[in-house]
Amino acid sequence: MAKRILITDDALFMRVTLKNILTQNGYEVAGEAANGAEAVELYKQLKPDLVTMDITMPEMDGIAALKEIRALDPDAKVVMCTAMGQKNMVVEAIQAGAKDFIVKPFQPDRVVEALQKLLAA
Amino acid sequence: MKVEYVGPFAEAAVSVMKMVLGTTPERGQLSARPQIFTTQQINIVCGITGMVEGLVIYGMSMVTADRIASKMIGAPVVTFDGLAASAIAELGNMISGNSLALLASKGFNCDITPPTIIRGTNVKITTLDIPALVIPLEVPDIGEFEINVSLQERRRAAQSVA
Repeated sequence: MAKRILITDDALFMRVTLKNILTQNGYEVAGEAANGAEAVELYKQLKPDLVTMDITMPEMDGIAALKEIRALDPDAKVVMCTAMGQKNMVVEAIQAGAKDFIVKPFQPDRVVEALQKLLAA
Repeated sequence: MKVEYVGPFAEAAVSVMKMVLGTTPERGQLSARPQIFTTQQINIVCGITGMVEGLVIYGMSMVTADRIASKMIGAPVVTFDGLAASAIAELGNMISGNSLALLASKGFNCDITPPTIIRGTNVKITTLDIPALVIPLEVPDIGEFEINVSLQERRRAAQSVA
């Protein structure tokens, strides 16, 4: 069965781009969230296999959402996918439990490799 | 407004555009701009907070915005709709985000706000008491893309009393 992914990004363009990459590589997009609060809510409802998480978003940012999701489910797999690649941000995300940190702009292969590694049986 | 805040934005814009648009923009001459200026047809506004704070505004013509969005989406943009606007906003977000890593390496840790798009040529923007520096980029086959950087070091007004 295809692994189910929850996409989180405030930019419609980014959600569409990620959805294309994921579906072309055999993943199922379980849902799309436009901010951190929506991601937490959809995580509870959909129980996805993995979440992609932007950081700069209105309402609730991606770091706060990552922490809430990890509190709900300590085994949650969350991959940060953001334009902010400065070291302190990467460290904060990894310490909060993020499994990988992808800096935008990215090549589709970078996303696919991260998912394959994390979702390997 | 220090010139050292501008370099990271120009550098990030060139590397992001190389990857996203597959073309290498050429940097033009840096110039100063008064605190009040009139916008271009499409403007992406990004707030910067942290050790340096202010605004960065990416301005371009409608034609340039259409060409950028078409390249990013991978299909011609017929009407500048929500998806096209989102692509342009994301380009601004990526340039700002990548600039932060470069600013951090100079010792300035900052954060960015989600981008806002302002459409319309008759909009006057004031950056209050921070003058803007402008770097024009000539993007081959796409058009001119200018970066208005209006930043200052955070005032240490809120220092705690020991």
